[in-house]
Amino acid sequence: MTANRDQLTIGIVGVGTHGMNHARVLRDLGHEVIAADADPTTRATFESEFETDPYENPSELFESDVDAVIISTPTKFHEPVATSAFEAGLDVLVEKPLAHTVTSAERIAAAAKRTNQICMVGFHHRFRNACTVLEEYIEEGYLGDVTHIDAKFIRRRGVPGRGTWYTSDEIAGGGALMDVGSHALDLLFSFYDWPTIENVLATANAEFGGQESYAYLHMWGEDSEARMYDVEDSVNAFLEFDDGRTADIEIAWAANTQSVHSYDVRGTEAGASLDITNTLEEIDPTGSRQNTLELYEVRNGVVDHFVDSEVVCPRNDPYRDELSTFLDAVVSGSRPERNNVHQALSVQRAIDRLYDEVDY
Amino acid sequence: MNERQADTGKTIQSIETMIRLLDVIRRRESVGVTELANEVGRSKSTVHHYLRTLELYDCLEKSDGTYQLGLRFLTYGGQARFRQRIYQLAKSDVDQLAAETGEQVRLVVERGGHGIAIYQAEGEHLDYPRSYVGSVDELHCTAAGKAFLAALSPDRVAELLAETELVGYTENTITDKDVLLEELEQIRSREVAYDDEERTEGIRCVAVAITSRSGELLGAISVSGPTDRLTDERFRSKIPSQLQNIVGVVEINTTYSDWADTV
Repeated sequence: MTANRDQLTIGIVGVGTHGMNHARVLRDLGHEVIAADADPTTRATFESEFETDPYENPSELFESDVDAVIISTPTKFHEPVATSAFEAGLDVLVEKPLAHTVTSAERIAAAAKRTNQICMVGFHHRFRNACTVLEEYIEEGYLGDVTHIDAKFIRRRGVPGRGTWYTSDEIAGGGALMDVGSHALDLLFSFYDWPTIENVLATANAEFGGQESYAYLHMWGEDSEARMYDVEDSVNAFLEFDDGRTADIEIAWAANTQSVHSYDVRGTEAGASLDITNTLEEIDPTGSRQNTLELYEVRNGVVDHFVDSEVVCPRNDPYRDELSTFLDAVVSGSRPERNNVHQALSVQRAIDRLYDEVDY
Repeated sequence: MNERQADTGKTIQSIETMIRLLDVIRRRESVGVTELANEVGRSKSTVHHYLRTLELYDCLEKSDGTYQLGLRFLTYGGQARFRQRIYQLAKSDVDQLAAETGEQVRLVVERGGHGIAIYQAEGEHLDYPRSYVGSVDELHCTAAGKAFLAALSPDRVAELLAETELVGYTENTITDKDVLLEELEQIRSREVAYDDEERTEGIRCVAVAITSRSGELLGAISVSGPTDRLTDERFRSKIPSQLQNIVGVVEINTTYSDWADTV
């Protein structure tokens, strides 16, 4: 690849909410964006903002002069699009989760390997500075041996486009666990350096999907049609890994409690608490965006005492840094470690394992 | 099938006679020569020649002096169905819904003001199907038919209703056009159509139309069953939501179907 790092042409397949978001960031970074979408309405929306008419079919996009591809279609269609992009010799950033099933995810990983193309997966929270810093603290041993992590990704009201494909088992492959839960597992596993699951206890519920009285305060995507809702909206799980380390996971699209997105990490030397809650509730238009990392230590002295300290790191746009990392990889041809396809496959297998455990 | 008047250009009378004969046989399932001759207003000997010819080409089968449709039509029908894109896209979902509900599930398309079932599957509650693939129903008294009417443009609906008599089959059949138009309004707002014993006493049916993202009507999927199984909650809430799940999936798969084939 002899692309000019300063101005690349990126093809985006699927320009719904997430695809549009990627397109805007790429435009701000000075790159050219062309798109493909199967939906005429979505194509029209893209065209009105970007003044370029998207292709109807990704194969036309792959034949045009693009340097790399971003895939943000409904999850079930990641595989056919990604596979043909690899075969066209293109590097790919796939939105998370990698696929709607483990076997589909495995085929994507196999196709990337066979064609020797880069496949990065859009778990953008990993690029949040506070997450990166915590990962580094854990890796260098500041917390000692980490033995337990409490991961929570709970939205008070946040079923994504209830009644669209996000809530269809056949298209999305699952509900809250597949959507926000995949982020939580991805971060958890990165903190534990990609552990092997030994035991799982998990439960799932669907309490809000069928309720006509469900009050919408925030959602991704439109909710024009109240169709399709056959997935869970919350999952609680306890995981035990092969070396005895453990994790509690609480996931919800909707719950009658405060919204929270946090990771409490307990080590033998110190603990850490990462809070990246982003409420985005329409009831409070300013929302509350947390981006805090606190460390908890105990020290001996004349008086034994606690030391609680706040890590202050610059706020960043994780979407922008994720895309920059991908584009650097496309230009240099060297695979980024963060958000690689093998990590995404581990997350996919864990999701599958959790779904196997729930009687839902 | 409806009898159409050839209103433009020249048509071949013998073919029209043949189609009328076949329609009578389809409707009555098994018919003798005399009865057929009376039905189409031709002499027994003429009708006999038709029947002999059709039998020779496997279009008819003869047993005990009566005629039934032959398997050649299955070959034609099989191919006609096979090339319907919606059949390919929705077949497995219809199977899945039949397994989930245990009832009879049908995939219906609209042709010339009637609904034609192009596929059907039966769940565990049925020992044998109540109807067959290819069967034709009127629109005003069936759930799929009303779902079609609700999805078509007002002009097209007016055109269809102008040439249709709203035949009453049960006490519940809607035979008044204004009442039907009001019902279509409700179907549009709730996106579900019901047949509450409107075609056959004791049988209820729920249907949801399948439309493309550009608004084109592609067909409908219906679930039907006896009133003692399709009780109120199941009829008005459970099955409609199961149907909407399946139709939503079919619509998305349809939107992306070109991709899976060509990318």
